[in-house]
Amino acid sequence: MTEESLPSSPSIAGIYFALLGIATVASGLAELLLTASGSEFVYGILEIPGDIFRGGWGGFVVLSAGLLYLSGARNMVDIHQFAKVVMGSILIWIIAGCDIFAMIAESIPGGEDGPWLNTLSGFIETYAPPYSPAVLLLPFSLVVIYYVRKRVFLEGGGRNSS
Amino acid sequence: MKLSAEERWDLIDRISKETVTFGAYRHTLTDAIGELTIKPLTGIPIAIAVLYGFWSLFGSFAGTLCTDGFFVKFFDGYWLPWLQQVFPGQGNWFYVIMVDAGGIESGEFVLSESSFESFGVLTSGLFLAIGVVLPAIFIFYLMLAILEDIGYMPRLAVLIDTMLHRIGLHGYAIVPTILSLGCNVPGVAATRILETKKQRFIMMTLLAIFIPCGAQIGIMEEVVPDLIGWIMLYLIIGYFIFGYILNKIVPGRAPEFLIDVPPYRRPLARNIGKKIYGRVTGFFKVALPFVLLGCVIVGILYQMGVIQWLGGVLAPIFVGWFGVPPETAGPLVAAFLRKDLAVAQLSTIEMTEYQMITSVVLVSIYFPCVATFAMMLKEGWKDLLWALAVLAVVVFVYGGLIHLIGILLGVA
Repeated sequence: MTEESLPSSPSIAGIYFALLGIATVASGLAELLLTASGSEFVYGILEIPGDIFRGGWGGFVVLSAGLLYLSGARNMVDIHQFAKVVMGSILIWIIAGCDIFAMIAESIPGGEDGPWLNTLSGFIETYAPPYSPAVLLLPFSLVVIYYVRKRVFLEGGGRNSS
Repeated sequence: MKLSAEERWDLIDRISKETVTFGAYRHTLTDAIGELTIKPLTGIPIAIAVLYGFWSLFGSFAGTLCTDGFFVKFFDGYWLPWLQQVFPGQGNWFYVIMVDAGGIESGEFVLSESSFESFGVLTSGLFLAIGVVLPAIFIFYLMLAILEDIGYMPRLAVLIDTMLHRIGLHGYAIVPTILSLGCNVPGVAATRILETKKQRFIMMTLLAIFIPCGAQIGIMEEVVPDLIGWIMLYLIIGYFIFGYILNKIVPGRAPEFLIDVPPYRRPLARNIGKKIYGRVTGFFKVALPFVLLGCVIVGILYQMGVIQWLGGVLAPIFVGWFGVPPETAGPLVAAFLRKDLAVAQLSTIEMTEYQMITSVVLVSIYFPCVATFAMMLKEGWKDLLWALAVLAVVVFVYGGLIHLIGILLGVA
């Protein structure tokens, strides 16, 4: 199977990942700007962190993910372009995974004056919104798995000419 | 049978036709991702993301979940009060060294409220070793093993090679550097992978001065979590500035390196488990005795008034040159024996944020811990003496420079 036999899906995928890239770049920039201003932003289920580690360092990673999406969305049939999109998703998974792991780490202990383990309501409360942009972008970034599997299936083992 | 050159080439052609398949190389997705992680434009943001994940998981697991979540509660709520009650001879020198240094209020001995403040071998010593260092070392080596087994470390070595050449090292130097973030002892041992004496000396000196170990990072994460980014930034800048200077003044060669970059692989749980077990047990065998011994010696020196005396003598330098409060002199002197304990002591002293950053950076660059000192001695006493001479100059110059930056920024 060659690249020519993958004409339609990449174009839809290209538009999808370009839009996701724009949203991701906007999130990353917002995190960096808020960190620079030293403030935090909460609106509905969205919380944009403004501390130097999560907002600054993490914001730079989210911005890089967005730029990788935008750069790779054009001509996704090419394996090198597609790899950029996959890498963009991996960066989102790193940030979102760390945010989710931080929630898990916080949800298990019972707190300074509480019992050893958290109560059920306290445990569930930790997972309530608001969430960081990376966590909200996570489900959209998972779409890349469908395209990876599709490519592997069409190319019989994930091989493609460069 | 003797073949002519032409016959030999014919034979090679025939063998290769039968054994080699010719055709265009077909890139896989993992190949393409592998290339992205090596090219500077994409590789550097990816490396920054990987390091972010590394430290974020480190903080969440070691700090939030293990130390804050369970160990602080156990040691402060149960272990310390129980020992304070059952250990005989409250207030005498043995009690002070083993359980609680406490304090004197209105002429009476007052017990400490937390294991951070008690400074006893069985309280602070065990709390640091088990409650802080163990989870920190475990998660650090787990993530390092995963990165190694996936195949990311050689890529990081390639990516950082150009930058490390500027300080007389090459990409492989990333291995001892990252290992040292867990414990300086295996880091110093790993300098042997560098080819020349010059490279080994530069690496060993930089590790001893600018790379904080897992124990110290664990404590920093616990007592100064908001400042850790600035502290690490100062240490990284110092690592490159003084590495550059050392490269210029230390004679010797700094050769290029060749590295085989393997394809990305799925890590095997058994291999990861073996690596973690070997490294964590190695750390506890080599470094744990020094943690506890350090607590004993610091306790004895405090009891004898040696540290207070040294602190008093050195206070003018600390206050005038480094810009930190006079009370920090004691912990900074004690940092020779236990850097992590010194950071914990610093956290109890009232000072500005910038003074705290300066103090913790000074603790880091001040002197290698006793275990690292012993390891460096194994590598050769001449190199150790030179490294210590460099260290003395670096502490004085860099400590003063940090103070100067603070004055210029109006924060010191």
